[in-house]
Amino acid sequence: MSKVNRGRGLLIVLFLAPSLLIFAIYRIIPILWNLILSFQRWKLIGIPKFVGFSNYQSLIQDPVFWESFKNTLYYFFGGTPIAIGVALVLSLLVNKPLKGRNIYRALIFLPYPITPVAIAIIWKWLYDEKVGLINFILKSLGITREGIGFLSSFTWALPAVIFTTVWQSLGYYVILLLAGLQTIPEELYEAAEIDGASGMRKLQWITLPLLKPSLFLCFIVGIINSFTTFDVIYVMTNGGPGNATEILVTYIYKKAFTFNEIGPAAAMTVILFLFLLLITMVSNKISGGEAGGVHYYE
Amino acid sequence: MNRKLLFRLIDHTILITVSVLITIPLYWVLKTSLTGENLFNYPPSLIPKDPHIYYFVDVYYWIPFLRFFFNSVFVSLIVVIANLFFNSMAAFALRYSFPGKKLLILFYLSMMMIPFQTTIIPAFLITKYMGLLNSYLGLSFPLASTIINIFVFKAAFDSIPGSLFDAAVMDGMKEHAILFKIYLPLAKPAIATNIILTFVWSWNNFIWPLIIISNKEMQTLPLGLSTFLSYFENTSGQMYAFVIMVIAPIILVFFMNQRRFISGIISGAIKG
Repeated sequence: MSKVNRGRGLLIVLFLAPSLLIFAIYRIIPILWNLILSFQRWKLIGIPKFVGFSNYQSLIQDPVFWESFKNTLYYFFGGTPIAIGVALVLSLLVNKPLKGRNIYRALIFLPYPITPVAIAIIWKWLYDEKVGLINFILKSLGITREGIGFLSSFTWALPAVIFTTVWQSLGYYVILLLAGLQTIPEELYEAAEIDGASGMRKLQWITLPLLKPSLFLCFIVGIINSFTTFDVIYVMTNGGPGNATEILVTYIYKKAFTFNEIGPAAAMTVILFLFLLLITMVSNKISGGEAGGVHYYE
Repeated sequence: MNRKLLFRLIDHTILITVSVLITIPLYWVLKTSLTGENLFNYPPSLIPKDPHIYYFVDVYYWIPFLRFFFNSVFVSLIVVIANLFFNSMAAFALRYSFPGKKLLILFYLSMMMIPFQTTIIPAFLITKYMGLLNSYLGLSFPLASTIINIFVFKAAFDSIPGSLFDAAVMDGMKEHAILFKIYLPLAKPAIATNIILTFVWSWNNFIWPLIIISNKEMQTLPLGLSTFLSYFENTSGQMYAFVIMVIAPIILVFFMNQRRFISGIISGAIKG
């Protein structure tokens, strides 16, 4: 039916142009330009000089780079599995025909869309050594005598920041898993009940296997989020104490926009990008192209 | 039967505990913004004593709050409107068949995998060379069209029967008018998803304004909030009043239409 005539061709081009222009300017050109910058020495003034792989070499010798890489991995492995585990339990609970389950769902989801900068400020204060609510509770319960300076401690700073992101993203995983649970046909459970299967059995043989794609999606979202978080860390600790909470994105920002060392920052961005690309490709392979798909709640 | 009741009790206990743990930080901030009390008085009281709005008034006078608020609203408005137009137009173009369409969709999908954080250095340079640092256009440009929302529109348009399109053409309607007069009115849920997602992304955006805004007058609310934190470290009542003022619009939109809000946010799993 749709014969591509000239008027129609023009319409297609004109309708696609605005969004494509934006993607070209803010995605395609930056990725390519960033690659070029990673091979140059440039401090934002003067003319960039090609220096081969020396930016990458300097990164390999930079202990802070390795620490932020390690912290990024820690950030993911320390937070995401716990968050998904807790979310799984909660999603099973709010999927039951309980009274008020819509209220529970809403409350658990509530922190997710809230401005991360605001979340960071709230938690910075909850963790405060002198006036923070958490230290108050710990002291009243007799767990500690002195307040703990969570965000200024080398031991506690990273777990504390991770806990904040878990708190914020929990509801997101709950709703994502809930959407998965609701696609499981009721008849499967009925059949299992006729066969006399217990609740545990049903969870093990029906729910979990059929929930795999949703769990997988949570996992992917978790990886991408932990590799691209910036706001919460920047506001809560700015990478400190020392470099205890420095992650790749905050270090890239510092290198580029505080020290104007564009070359190493660009090289680090290339590494981050390749790492993310690898993860998405591997996960797409494992899941058979399911990851990153659009899921609807309704 | 008694066993069932016990189980239900356990379920509710867990859910209530979690709900309280999740909401208490937000409640605490609201309370402090109204009283300031639990910063100095221990043990803190659970219910606000003598609430007042002076901290909110302070915020209004201490910083150009109205200016920041206007900046945030204006940028979000540009972003939301641009997305509605650009995304629906792209999705409408995708309902035709044309050479290279498959490749284009593949191109969109692969661009979705590029997180904004991996583009910040050149994006900053490009914005600088376009002369858009410290400007509303510079703030809103990178978010002016989002791929996930193109697909949200595409899914909605795909469910509209083609016969409707043909009938409109037969009646002599211009094809571009069909988008605005027939398709968009039939795609209200997709419009809602677009508005919610892009509003939240734009309102919460921090790293981009942090990079391209150096003029205090042009700060958006999250940027103003983080600057406030570094200037007024020990003024907590005002600080939390400011926090409440920044997050209130999001929470308001959330409670206005919870279902649509949650499903909208979920569909934007990965920002893109």
